[in-house]
Amino acid sequence: MNKKKIYFLIAIAFVFFIIVLIIFFKSSCYSGKKDLELSKEEVQEKVEQIKPVKVKMFFLQRNSRYMKPFSYEIGIFKTRQDVYKAFINELLKSREDCITPIPEGLKLRSVFYVKKRKILIVDFNEVLLNKFPVGTSSELEFIYYFVDNICYNFKEIKEVKFLVSGNEYKTISGHIDIENPFYPDYRYLRDE
Amino acid sequence: MLVFMKNRLIFLILFILIGDCLFPLSINVRTFDHQNHTRLVFEGDNSFGFKINNFKNSIEIEINKIANIKNRITRIDDSKLIDRVVHSTKNNKSTLTVYFKSKFKVKRNFVLEKPFRVVFDVVKSEEPDRDLEPSENKRGKQEPKESNIKDETSKKKAIEIICIDPGHGGSDLGAVGRLKLMEKDITLKVSRKVKKIIESKLGLRVITTRDKDVEVSLDSRAAMANNQKAQVFVSIHVNSSFRGSARGPETYYVSLKATDQEAFKLAEKENSSLGEAFKTAENDDLKMILWNMAQSEYIKESSKLASFIQNELNILMHTKNRGVKQAPFRVLMRTAMPAVLIEIAFISNFYEEKSLMDDSFLDKVANAIYTGISKFIYFYNNI
Repeated sequence: MNKKKIYFLIAIAFVFFIIVLIIFFKSSCYSGKKDLELSKEEVQEKVEQIKPVKVKMFFLQRNSRYMKPFSYEIGIFKTRQDVYKAFINELLKSREDCITPIPEGLKLRSVFYVKKRKILIVDFNEVLLNKFPVGTSSELEFIYYFVDNICYNFKEIKEVKFLVSGNEYKTISGHIDIENPFYPDYRYLRDE
Repeated sequence: MLVFMKNRLIFLILFILIGDCLFPLSINVRTFDHQNHTRLVFEGDNSFGFKINNFKNSIEIEINKIANIKNRITRIDDSKLIDRVVHSTKNNKSTLTVYFKSKFKVKRNFVLEKPFRVVFDVVKSEEPDRDLEPSENKRGKQEPKESNIKDETSKKKAIEIICIDPGHGGSDLGAVGRLKLMEKDITLKVSRKVKKIIESKLGLRVITTRDKDVEVSLDSRAAMANNQKAQVFVSIHVNSSFRGSARGPETYYVSLKATDQEAFKLAEKENSSLGEAFKTAENDDLKMILWNMAQSEYIKESSKLASFIQNELNILMHTKNRGVKQAPFRVLMRTAMPAVLIEIAFISNFYEEKSLMDDSFLDKVANAIYTGISKFIYFYNNI
């Protein structure tokens, strides 16, 4: 075998190796739970306009089953993740004349947006499981308080998934399945 | 180098052979007649490779190693569609052949893990039997095939078994009211009453997911109902809300909208063709989506059952605002039958908690639930 043939074979082998590598990495990007992992660029995606973020938040009323809207400005942020975080922290604050359907001591641990699936993953501390007032309506009020408010204000988010201390759980208190993400259900919003 | 490779190859072959001897594969075959299809499950204690051959009146599953199967021929007496499963071995491979009583069609098929299962949902084929095609057809006469087949497949089994599920129990107290009344006690009391009324008035078999103060997981409750072949599932709960003023009964059935629709479509797609579908469910997401589909076939019936029960509860408690609702309840999603969850009243409402302490009120609630169920049974058996 002459030298030219050997170089040719090596070149073909090299190209083949590169193609295999590309296929391997591409397929691993789309497989299962990798979808839920975040790249640094995604998390640190910059907010286009650096100015106060205006939002409309809906809160539960004592004597109505509809949520009433209030307008807020939640500050100036550098990244999209910071906006989501500030928004959820605002939802966690208790308010006079309104009901905040959250257990006392509930804190947001982290939040991340999976751009590919348009899902916002919200991770709360263990208070959600330990101190939640058991009941179907309580669970639904909690879930849709967050899901509806988030999806209403951030159109890029189509679904919201809940985690507790970084882990998936079957239910909050024995009723609604929280292993799957939730689409918004705007039946209880009253946009006045 | 060649010697080294040879040694390695021998070692590998020995390893496979020893592995096969140490961990022989045993396969269990199960069938279950659902309303619209028959489910056929091959459950292995280990995963196994296989190949499917589809014939006119049988399905052949070629397994890549020898499997331990109790009997060479397993007769399936209580199945509408499946006649027998025959096991044979050849060239260190096992073959399971499923013979059907009539022509069949694979509606969907998939693989589940932990334990490893190959699942087929089969229905009676509506295609005309070409071998028996009447010669009149060629002369342009109307063929009676469709009506005959429909008559047989659409014949539903009248409701005979009902599953009542008292919510919570054991260390899971459920909701607790201001007067310290516990949801788990109310649900058990009402369930016992409902069971008693149905058994005495309708003479049907009623199973309960718990009959004492014990904790039962949500998935076990659904599994119990499925394994006992219950035809109606009614889960009884007491509600609680962040709003103290909330009152009235509510009846829920499963909403699939709130789950991941894209994933649901993906699962459907995975199951659409025989060749593509036999892929291992590699992640838990897909496994769960397939499980969630158990209730998807019964949504219409579940909605009807929910309205019958809710109407009776509305009459009893003079409520108009609250009604039938949909939500992704864990316990309902995995039941393969019409299934609803009833929230009798709000324990978080002081006045309703007081009512829940009154035994005569619970009697009325049980009667209302019974009336709703019996109306549904009449409707179901006559459509």
